[in-house]
Amino acid sequence: MFAYIVRRVLATIPVMLIVALFVFSLLYIAPGDPAAIIAGDQATPQDVERIRASLGLDRPFVIRFGEWLWQVAHGDLGVSIFTNLPVTHMIAQRIEPTLSLMLLTVILSLLVAIPMGVIAAWKHGTWIDRLIMCTAVFGFSTPVFVIGYLLAYIFALWLEWLPVQGYTPLSHGLWPFLQNLILPAVALGMIYIALIARITRATMLEVLSQDYVRTAKAKGVGQRAILFVHALKNAAVPIVTVVGIGVALLIGGAVVTESVFAIPGLGRLTVDAILRRDYPVIQGVVLLFSFIYVLVNLGVDLLYTLFDPRIRY
Amino acid sequence: MSAISPEIAAAPALPDVLPPVKLRGKVGTFVNRYPTIAVGGVLLAAMVLIAIFAPLLFTVDPTALAPAKRTREPSALYWFGTDMLGRDIYSRVTYGARVSLLVGFSVALLASVVGTFIGVVSGFMRALDSVIMRVMDGLMSIPPILLAIALMALTRGSVQNVIIAISVAEFPRVSRLIRGVVLSLREQPYVEAAVASGTRVPKIIWRHILPNTLAPLMVQATYICASAMITEAILSFIGAGTPPIIPSWGNIMAEGRALWQVKPFIVFFPAVYLSITVLAVNLLGDGLRDALDPRLAKRL
Repeated sequence: MFAYIVRRVLATIPVMLIVALFVFSLLYIAPGDPAAIIAGDQATPQDVERIRASLGLDRPFVIRFGEWLWQVAHGDLGVSIFTNLPVTHMIAQRIEPTLSLMLLTVILSLLVAIPMGVIAAWKHGTWIDRLIMCTAVFGFSTPVFVIGYLLAYIFALWLEWLPVQGYTPLSHGLWPFLQNLILPAVALGMIYIALIARITRATMLEVLSQDYVRTAKAKGVGQRAILFVHALKNAAVPIVTVVGIGVALLIGGAVVTESVFAIPGLGRLTVDAILRRDYPVIQGVVLLFSFIYVLVNLGVDLLYTLFDPRIRY
Repeated sequence: MSAISPEIAAAPALPDVLPPVKLRGKVGTFVNRYPTIAVGGVLLAAMVLIAIFAPLLFTVDPTALAPAKRTREPSALYWFGTDMLGRDIYSRVTYGARVSLLVGFSVALLASVVGTFIGVVSGFMRALDSVIMRVMDGLMSIPPILLAIALMALTRGSVQNVIIAISVAEFPRVSRLIRGVVLSLREQPYVEAAVASGTRVPKIIWRHILPNTLAPLMVQATYICASAMITEAILSFIGAGTPPIIPSWGNIMAEGRALWQVKPFIVFFPAVYLSITVLAVNLLGDGLRDALDPRLAKRL
């Protein structure tokens, strides 16, 4: 068990190195010569060359990559071209709304999607099953900003139940916090719900045809206990896998959702950085999100052993 | 089956009581067996026709400015209204189908070709396999939309660059899939037989491996097409996609964003078109998966 955890954690290192290499190359080949920008219009080519040497920009790729990696390992993601603030500082300012949104989305989606999938599998082949699966296909096909605008139009503009846009930190109370975040979370969660509901139904169908389910039925275990205790636990591994993989969809969707609902999070930071071509910020955000994604999936791998003790690597 | 002897086929000829079944013919049978392929196929075909015949569908120049007629509500003259620069939204949305479909199909094709190549190389060259797959793992651990955004930040916005950026974000998944298929195919007796009889590797790949990767590849390509169309719209929506001069659904929505609370129709129509197209492609993918892999069909 312990050896498995250590091996799994070590296996993420090469993956993160590839991500880091990609992200570093991004800045390396980005248009615009920092030395020329710092030197200004009046500078001679010799001046630019001197500045380049003083910044260490004339050294080989591998050495610069190594130094950059060393900096990142020490929590230094460089300085924004546009605001001159450290990128870590800018990310720290914006991370709370994004994490809140994603966490709420995950909780909400799991609460909706897993019962949906379980019921669809239980009522396999009936109109309930078909209705749930149709909803899932629609959820999978409607882009997040379309759902976002639709929800905002119905619940904020038309019914006036919830605020249209904006973000209130949790420190201002739970209700105002949720009020602002509920529509974005539902919009962002739609594709995630569809994904999880489908895999839940598929694995549940497989599990429900197993012998031990028949045995449980035969000895008089209640329907609910069979579904949620016997079957769901054994269907957990594929479901948890998809929950982990789906986080990539959430991260991508968060960028757009924050634009639709004017949430000042990392997504907005990314969009602003693109419009300003602020490469260090883009780099930092991509690195951070990929790191989160890898960590989530590492967590999922470790959860396997919890759900299925037969798994021993 | 051998010919049936007259003794066994002794049942009297029944009067033909069900002529409608015969009349419905092959099309009806197909629709009954694969309703999702039929619905998805028809919707997608309609969208392709709209894209091809956009100039003939009562459209005007989608980029013609008319500031005096800006933000008109939908009416008999302007079916979907006009945007903040007075451009006809119906024409823009109709022409926008071209961009979405072009991006969707091109990405599906490009990602499939590159992904298949890398997957086959990885499956056949054990020395390279672990290195290639680690690189693919790395690329796959960057969320696809972020990867496309990062690439778009490096280049000018153009349809071609959008296609390349989304393809880079999608192909690692294809290579993973194909590698898995190749590894399992290599264990098949007919491939072993081909190896034993001295068939060269390129011929084995061409004759025995590639044809068998086609079914899973087609299903995967359909899903990639759907997600590429969404990604393109997202990129354009946040200003990192096709240049604003090109009427793409993402661009139209991006322009309508500032006004959506008062003029929701600007965002509404491209959103509906996009959702229907993506739905059509997803239905087609589901149907293909069920038709090509009956084992999976029972599960999903």
